Amino acid sequence: MDAKKLKLGFYGITGCAGCLLSVIFNEDEILDLVQLVDLKAFPFIKELNVDEDFDYVFMEGLVADKGDLETLQKLRKNCRFLVSLGACASTGCVPAYRQYTLKENYEHLLYKKHAEIQDLQPTPIDSHVKVDYYIPGCPPDKKEIVTFIKNLVMGKQPKPYESPVCVECRRNGNQCLLDLGKPCLGPITAGGCDSVCTNGGLECWGCRGPTKDMNLELMIRILKEKGFDDKFIQDRMRTFVGLKLPMLEQVFNVKINNIKPHN
Amino acid sequence: MSKSITLNHITKIEGHAKLVLGIKHGKVTRCELSAVEGSRYFEGLVRGRRFNEAHEITSRICGICSCAHVIAAISAVEDALGYRPTEQTETLRILLTLGERIRSHATHLYFLALPDYLGYESALAMASKFKPQLHNALNLMKTGNFIIKAIGGRDLHPVSATVGGWLKLPKKDDILQIKKMLIAVKKDAVKTCSLFSKLKYPNFKSSTECFSLVDKNGYAVLSGEFTSEKSSFRKNQYKDFVKEYHQPRSTSNFVVKEDHAYMVGALSRINNNHGKLSKDAGKILRSLKLELPSKNPFHNILAQAIEMVHCIDEAIKICSELKISNEQVERLELKKGNGVGVIEVPRGTLWHEYTINDNGIITNANIITPTAQNLLNIQEDIRAFVPFVIKKGKKSITLDVEKLIRSYDPCFSCSAHFLEVNWA
Repeated sequence: MDAKKLKLGFYGITGCAGCLLSVIFNEDEILDLVQLVDLKAFPFIKELNVDEDFDYVFMEGLVADKGDLETLQKLRKNCRFLVSLGACASTGCVPAYRQYTLKENYEHLLYKKHAEIQDLQPTPIDSHVKVDYYIPGCPPDKKEIVTFIKNLVMGKQPKPYESPVCVECRRNGNQCLLDLGKPCLGPITAGGCDSVCTNGGLECWGCRGPTKDMNLELMIRILKEKGFDDKFIQDRMRTFVGLKLPMLEQVFNVKINNIKPHN
Repeated sequence: MSKSITLNHITKIEGHAKLVLGIKHGKVTRCELSAVEGSRYFEGLVRGRRFNEAHEITSRICGICSCAHVIAAISAVEDALGYRPTEQTETLRILLTLGERIRSHATHLYFLALPDYLGYESALAMASKFKPQLHNALNLMKTGNFIIKAIGGRDLHPVSATVGGWLKLPKKDDILQIKKMLIAVKKDAVKTCSLFSKLKYPNFKSSTECFSLVDKNGYAVLSGEFTSEKSSFRKNQYKDFVKEYHQPRSTSNFVVKEDHAYMVGALSRINNNHGKLSKDAGKILRSLKLELPSKNPFHNILAQAIEMVHCIDEAIKICSELKISNEQVERLELKKGNGVGVIEVPRGTLWHEYTINDNGIITNANIITPTAQNLLNIQEDIRAFVPFVIKKGKKSITLDVEKLIRSYDPCFSCSAHFLEVNWA
């Protein structure tokens, strides 16, 4: 292997494989892209994987059981930089919404499992290890992944996109979905997704996480004025990024009854 | 002589699975296949949510078949509300599903299955010697992704499909472009059939029953009855026939039909529907002189290759006939009810069921994925297959067993934890 090439690994813990697919679905670039780097591990599409001595590990998925945590901790030790790939790794995404749902909603699904597959509280990877870079989104924008890797190869620092979804949405000429009475979270959500959901007629659900300077109170007030009740607003905001919005508890001035971890 | 083989991390599959195989005196003494993907409890997460939120949430079960979960969830909710979608809505859902099947089969065939047969560790490692073949794969994946993006708004976790219709309809130009790409890519699908027909498949016969949707009106996608060569039942009867149970070692449940394992997927579909394949797909199938029904699970990848040609032909036909009219999303009257959505997806038949109350809130959900249905069958096939290769070395047995597992195109992201213990 070329000693100068960056040594990369792509791994998944509990998730949907969609982020790893987003890497592969760069159909025009993928064959050239892998030539730019030393692809040491990608178990989803490779039989032979050397899981040590990485420059960068890209991690899809969240920590949902002991096996996830062990894999994550081992890879963290074996890489210089850890990249959180997609919403599960970055925010816990939909699976972490379990922390905000009533236990009675899912306890009928629980059963006795062997020790190594025992559940842990569903959490993003930065709840457990240091993360150096985030590629947010459910799924992440596939072109963003290519740009990110090319930047690394060229020695440039990848920069996060910080403007809200509304900037791209407006640029794309969409009619404002909030104005149409839809519960769009675009104003408080970091863009960089080319407003793909609102382009397709769906209101933003906030999957890329809150902007640094969001006005959460105003967002909630607008949604209430549009007729959405507290429960709906909380559920929506928590579906993808609940753990990144701990302040919701104070904003709604309620003890989050159901937030009690079950483990 | 005794051997024990443990595959803790089976590569080149979606999600995470584990196999424990024990061999003693030439006999299989232990064979346990388990999903070890962490549990995510989707059926619990949708409880308390609104009827038109289920598909956005359950889409996240699986990246590669997110369209499938979206359409299955929407169909089940519409069934619960007693709504029948318009013909245009239904046609676009089928087109989205066909696009997803083309993409999924191409990805599985070339990136996950083929390297085993050509003696490579990965598709990427084949790049220097098999570049044209990889380009065929990428062209097919790109076409599938283009269809999904044009119809669904995004290629993974599509956004435009909703309960009662489409939030955004494709433009005439999108449909023309899809048709153009499909016509251009068809030769790549035909070449795929030719490539996969030349591979040497182990001679093995499973004793299973092959189930898929069967509809008199065509190669079933979103309609028909769940049918095998022996029996058939309607979607709302599924709980009378299909039972789920769990094992402490696996985060996916196991599914049986009247106490027996069964198989779903491309091979089952071809077995049950081969007379309804498109003209060219049927011609290719006949040229292979495959004895039908085939019970050789290794043929599932051949069946996927043939299905790609069929899906391309079907999608071209839809694009040729489709005239998009500006239909708005139907606002459905909320009432309590229970509904089932069933759909043929890349890996087999997918079931979603929801119960909704008077306010449109979901009070119960049940989801059965293709891989959960295949899991016991794969395990039983491994048990039956290993004696044929038992004299080989450990490495060779392992490769053969992995080939067998991969031929089913299992998705453990999907299957992990779908078990209903108490249906209220």
